[in-house]
Amino acid sequence: MEEKTTVVTEKKVPETLPYVKPKKTHGAVGSKAVNRIITVLLVLGCLTIFFPLYMTVIIAFKQPSEMTNDVAGALALPESWSLDNFAEAMRVTDFWHSLGNSFLLTGVTVVICILLHSLAGYLIGRKMNRHKIFKASYYYVVSGMFVPFAVLMMPLVKQTAQLGIANRFGVIVLYVVFFMPMNIMLYAGYLKNIPTALEEAACVDGASAWQTYWRVIFPNMKPMHATVAVLTAMSTWNDVMTPLVIMSGTDQNTLPLAQLNFQTQFGTNYNLAFASYLLALLPILIFYIICQKQIINGVVNGAVK
Amino acid sequence: MEKTKKKAKNSWSKNDKIFLGILIPILVLFFCFNTLPLIRGFYYGLTNFRGYGDYDFVGLRNFQDLFSDVRVGKSYMFTFKYAIVMTIVVNLISLILALGLNRSIRGKNVLRGIYFVPNILGGLVVGYIFSFIFTYILPTIGEMTGIGFLQNSMLASTKTAWIAIVIVGAWQGIAMNTIIYISGLQTVPEEVYEACMLDGASGWKKFSKITFPLIMPFVTINLVLCMKNALMVFDQIMSLTNGGPAQSTESISYLIYNNGMDGGQFGFQSANAFVFFIVIVIISFLQMKFLGGKEEQL
Amino acid sequence: MKRKFRKGIAFIMAVIMALSVCLTGCGDEDVTADGKVIIELVQYKPEAVDIFEELEAKFNATHDDIELRIDSPNDAMTILKTRFIREDNPDIIGIGGDINYSNFLDADMFMDISDFDGLADIKENYLQINKDLEYVPQEGVYACPYMSNAAGVLYNKDMFEEHGWEIPTTWSEFTALCEEIEAAGIQPLYFGFLDSWTTLAPWNAIAVNLCESDITYQVNAGDATFSEAYREVAIMEKELLQYAQPNPVAYGYNDACTAFARGESAMYVIGNYAISQIKSVNPDMNIDSFVFPANENAEDNILNSGNDLMFCIMEDCEYKEEAYEVLRFLLEDENVQLYIEDQSAVPCKKGDFELPSELDGMSYYIENGIIADYQDHHYPSEMSVDAMIQTYLIDESSDALETFLTRFDTEWVRYNRDIIQKVQEYEESLEN
Repeated sequence: MEEKTTVVTEKKVPETLPYVKPKKTHGAVGSKAVNRIITVLLVLGCLTIFFPLYMTVIIAFKQPSEMTNDVAGALALPESWSLDNFAEAMRVTDFWHSLGNSFLLTGVTVVICILLHSLAGYLIGRKMNRHKIFKASYYYVVSGMFVPFAVLMMPLVKQTAQLGIANRFGVIVLYVVFFMPMNIMLYAGYLKNIPTALEEAACVDGASAWQTYWRVIFPNMKPMHATVAVLTAMSTWNDVMTPLVIMSGTDQNTLPLAQLNFQTQFGTNYNLAFASYLLALLPILIFYIICQKQIINGVVNGAVK
Repeated sequence: MEKTKKKAKNSWSKNDKIFLGILIPILVLFFCFNTLPLIRGFYYGLTNFRGYGDYDFVGLRNFQDLFSDVRVGKSYMFTFKYAIVMTIVVNLISLILALGLNRSIRGKNVLRGIYFVPNILGGLVVGYIFSFIFTYILPTIGEMTGIGFLQNSMLASTKTAWIAIVIVGAWQGIAMNTIIYISGLQTVPEEVYEACMLDGASGWKKFSKITFPLIMPFVTINLVLCMKNALMVFDQIMSLTNGGPAQSTESISYLIYNNGMDGGQFGFQSANAFVFFIVIVIISFLQMKFLGGKEEQL
Repeated sequence: MKRKFRKGIAFIMAVIMALSVCLTGCGDEDVTADGKVIIELVQYKPEAVDIFEELEAKFNATHDDIELRIDSPNDAMTILKTRFIREDNPDIIGIGGDINYSNFLDADMFMDISDFDGLADIKENYLQINKDLEYVPQEGVYACPYMSNAAGVLYNKDMFEEHGWEIPTTWSEFTALCEEIEAAGIQPLYFGFLDSWTTLAPWNAIAVNLCESDITYQVNAGDATFSEAYREVAIMEKELLQYAQPNPVAYGYNDACTAFARGESAMYVIGNYAISQIKSVNPDMNIDSFVFPANENAEDNILNSGNDLMFCIMEDCEYKEEAYEVLRFLLEDENVQLYIEDQSAVPCKKGDFELPSELDGMSYYIENGIIADYQDHHYPSEMSVDAMIQTYLIDESSDALETFLTRFDTEWVRYNRDIIQKVQEYEESLEN
């Protein structure tokens, strides 16, 4: 039923909406000489990342008996490039199952965050300077960002248990709330550079505020959606604490939770752990690269003055 | 644009009411899972609750203790020192990175991908690799080159351990701020540059007069976010120093978590967390007020 | 227009509701569909997950009326605490005999199991250790000790044999040995004090020899001070530093294990819990151990050993008899031996068990019960005694010792206020 209404409303939108063609911008148009210097600097900067990454990769391939404390030994290549560590790490973490859970949690969280937070950011951002209550809401939500998680943890454990959502759903609800302040800040900040003329034009054409938002503003915030998606996904993907305390005892593991298996009080299997971290890194890296393209290519604003 | 807004101030248009109507359920959700538990946390701050079992109401004792506790005082000093240095370092580097990565350069997407990696490497990996670098590699380099201050592990001295944490924190944190700056740079229309190219402005002048003021909202966001993340530093400390050496790198979050959750000081640390929350809110609002005044709109 | 907005909200809500239905998992139950009583055991040693799974399967194969479910989660303490908050207690928990036990007990979370017949087979020392962990003496028994661990000095057996070094039995023999090892061009000791908890390993091993086991209770009752009790301990631990690698605060536990495994040091002051990490680096290493010789009289030496794993039945467990049955099963000689072999552990049960060969040098003390509990099991973790010791060890000023001891006494009062009050009330009630 709900779906029908959305379809109907979409049809009603007049064709005359000010459709804005995507247009490429480069934040700066610099001279070629400057670009070369910058390229060199950026590549040099990469070395600070390559070196630790190199160590991570070789440790992921080594056996515990190859671990030493001397520099030369630690930087040496592994004796054999066997994928055993990766296979074993996948077994220990119940990889596909944990990965599925991580995907589910991250995916659903990101989608809800984009839909809900962009809307909230828009509502607040557009009316902030008109009515105090919107401004107050903005500061209220943003201040929620500064609550240390440790103080919320126990009450949230109790609350989610009482509501019967001490499960994956509860974790998603908590994520949606945790990331709300940051995302609203980002959306509201981005809106400052989207001219109100866009909506006003749509309004004149008879579109409702609801339609205007989804048809005009929402697509216009595409780079910010991609940014929010990356930041939210990154934090969700790596988060240990929330699923640990909320979902304990449900047999559902996320990847970071399963990775705790490698660490016990008196011993850590770094080789398996590093292999597992490298495996967990890939999906989010790919997601990031896809989103990056959206951030850069999705720019449509600035065309209307 | 500004004028139309002012004209309609105080009067509630139909549109305004609709906006508020949609906003309220979202705020209610936020209240339930953020403010409500915070209020419960505050209540625990008034008790000697251990996190389980029975507890007594102790009034404001925890809050009084807080102001006489040397360890808490030291952790505030450390946290602020760390946060200020981090905020400056991270924002400077990530702004430069963002400007660089936003240009038309070769292999841009690969570079962007690489700069993103530190943020998603887990704490265990970062802790192990950087401990190794600080404990073995840097001292070896120090001995080979004869640079004195490198010869001792940075993590072993109370004077340098915090710098090691700043380095790792910045290494991991820069990606996030860079992403936000890059998306901020997308809001700067090309026309603005074209216009100023005609005026003959270039390089630094262009940046300081045009780009920077236009991305000011993102500078504000980044400063606030970075400051907040730095003030809540926890992961890097757990994986590098565990608060040592000689308790010189105990951050407030470290105390709240270790003593409140793992230890039996849940009530006291709830009080600590609540006070800390108020402190960060004040700092961030001052930041936003100050920076907000400098923002320019198109 | 308004209606559409409402519909929009309704849509979002509907999506959330639908998700909640999809994702809500199953609830908890006490009894299985075929009428078996479910006993849930959560134990805190994730490294022992395999052996516990084996024992679980074995139990369920031999019992028709009880279904045992053993969970060995990571970060079990956090999980247990969150489950307590949720009022979703397991039936039995397997924890260590440390301050957490004292706190849980103080919060009245455990059942008195003094009528459990299996207790008769447990060595008295380990039961007594648990009595000492009570803030104020309580009636009854609240934990059944299962496995213990032991700490002292691990040494490289091959290296010792090669050089003909003797196992020291007194403090002066120990320092003489260290000097002899140094003269042979080998590092006697290696410390990983970057991980501050490892400062407690020598601390405990020395303190069991020089302090009374109930010293914390005496201090709480106002009958003693740490300044006096710990002076010797602190001096001795600092003396060890001269036999260790330079700047031990620069290296972590893992570095120290690796260094010892690679033969970079002859000895390592740590507990048997480090053996598996050391052996992961050097599987063929020949390790043995000896009791830390902190006394000048060899007969006075005491082994540092405490309850590493013990089972407590939760106060609200409805199936006490079934829980006892689980404990009885776990305590069967055959199963104890299985566990020892898998985890290189030391049993708390009386009887003739085969101990891991790495503990040969300690077996006399283990078999004869010449043991005392880790002092740090009595320290509140939020006091961070390990960090205080680390601070003291790197403090090079002349009054470092005084600073440390004074601080120990003052902080103790600050972190144990409620407990001191409890103890003193108890003492007063005894007098009246």
